[in-house]
Formats: sequence, C-alpha cells, structure tokens
Amino acid sequence: MIVCVAVVGQQNNPLFIQSFTDGDDELKFHYIVHCSLDVIEEKVTNPKKTGTTMNETFLGLLYPTEDYKVYGYLTNTRVKFLLVTTDQDVRDVDVRSFFRRFHAAYVDAASNPFHVPGKRIISKAFAERVGAIVKSFGVPTT
Amino acid sequence: MSCIFFHRDLRLVSLNAFAFLFSEMVQYNQTRVDNIAELEHRLEDAGYGVGLRMLELLCHREKGNRREVRLLGILSFVHSTLWKSLFGKVADSLEKGTENEDEYMISEKELLVNRFISVPKDMGAFNCGAYVAGIVKGVLDGSGFPARVTAHFVPVEGQPRPRTTILIKFTEEVLQREARLS
Repeated sequence: MIVCVAVVGQQNNPLFIQSFTDGDDELKFHYIVHCSLDVIEEKVTNPKKTGTTMNETFLGLLYPTEDYKVYGYLTNTRVKFLLVTTDQDVRDVDVRSFFRRFHAAYVDAASNPFHVPGKRIISKAFAERVGAIVKSFGVPTT
Repeated sequence: MSCIFFHRDLRLVSLNAFAFLFSEMVQYNQTRVDNIAELEHRLEDAGYGVGLRMLELLCHREKGNRREVRLLGILSFVHSTLWKSLFGKVADSLEKGTENEDEYMISEKELLVNRFISVPKDMGAFNCGAYVAGIVKGVLDGSGFPARVTAHFVPVEGQPRPRTTILIKFTEEVLQREARLS
C-alpha cells in the first residue's frame, strides 16, 4: 500500500507531498522524504559504487526501514519523485510503471502556464491524477 | 503560449495563429519598454518559460530514461530534438566557436518566428529570434547547463536576407565540469 508520494525540486525544496493514510503522521513522511534525499544525492554523485549508470532516471529502492520502503526517480531536470510504500513484495516493474505515469502527470502539471517552476504544485487536477495512479498501483494489469 | 509543435499523431498548430499571437506579443512589449535591449530581454523571458516546459515534455516523450550530462549531448538534443518538435525540422547547423572555448552557435537560414517580421532600420540589430534564444536558454538552464543565449543576424554573401545565429555561451562551471568528466 502506498502511503506517501512526494515531488522534490532542484534545490531540494518540496513541491508536492501527499499522504494516503488516515493517520496524522504527515510530519513523519516529511522526515522520511527528507532523509531519502541524502541517499539520492549519494547515488547521483557516485554512480560506479552503487551500480546505477550515470544517466538512468529510475533510482530503485533507496532504503528500507522497518515499516516502509522508499523508491526514487530522478528526471532530466533534477526533479525527484519519491514513493513510500508499506508493501513487502513490490515488483520492480510495478514501481517503474508507476513512476512513468507519475512523470506524465507531472509534465502535464508543469506545462500549466500558471505554474511557477520551483514553487509548490497547487493544481487540483494533478492531485486527482496522482490519487488515481496510486489507487491502481499494484493492481495486476493484463 | 503556443508554439508550433508536431505530435506523433501529427496534430499541428496553424502557422497563422502563431504568427498573429507572436506579432501581438512583440507589439504588446514594444509599448511598455524604453529601449531595444529591454524588448529583447522581455522576449527572452517569455521564451524561457516555454523552454523549461518543453524540456520536461520532450524528456518524458522522446528520450526514454536517459539524462543528458555531457555538453555535446545536450547541444545535439537542442539542435535536433527540440528544433524538430518546435519547427518540424532540425536546425541548419551547429558549430563550435573558434575564438572561445565556451561558445557554440546554432544557425538557421530563416527562423520561423521571423518569417513575417521585418525590423525597421531605426531599431538597429534587434532580432525577434530573442524569443527562440529564450527557449534554448530555458532548456539549457533546466538541464543544468547555465548559459547566456542571444540571437544575431549574420549576413551571408549571395543571399539577400541574413541568416540568424543563436549564440550560446556557457558559464565557467559548465566547462569545468565538462573537463572533469572527460
């Protein structure tokens, strides 16, 4: 189950954080997302050590804590997408397709002429699309 | 802002619509500035936003999973992919400057945005290609290659109209990073 998705900008400023649980642990997710940023930096600056190629967008599993797993994705414009999930058996291909659809929704939100690059994403349509993508995550597609 | 771009399913935007819109944009800015440099600056700013958004869009559609980190890579991206999606063809030429290490030039015989524009003599060297220069600047800045981008007219022997050159001057840190990577 996905509990949180986040979009972080080039200067590591949060552009969009959405949690999908009922509890009020929004602060905990902010904290987890913030810690994951360090892991992303490390992966990007030391490509040989961590095994990813230098210009791959999907960064994979960033780090597992006892409850959550965090996946990362880096776009060409250094905007980072983060996915926090409680599932224990998440398939790699599911996460990749999730990020692909999330990237499409992000590109549409960024193409909005009223969106200021670098500021928070306030589009309701984007939030709805993200909600729809999250709901259909993990549902096996034929 | 609308540009002329060709989707894979060949949905086109009409040239007339864009020409009218662009002409209005130039006229609107002309009444609100005091000198030529400011007019160029405003057109560049208008193009900058377009460039940032085009970068996001193109990277998602065309490039799959690759992120450009090399100078030549991003230049060829601008020269072919960006030009093809904006104007329907690749740019005429991409050259490296001879005097300076950090200068590159993309030339076009006639920029699409300038096709219906003739600049009066009292405006000197003003070029509405500043809009396209702004687009290129947006793409380069968004990919992490900050640069100064300007548009110039370059007279060509044997041709009545000069060709337009987009001059790209990268900042020092880009060159240092490039030297480190190669």
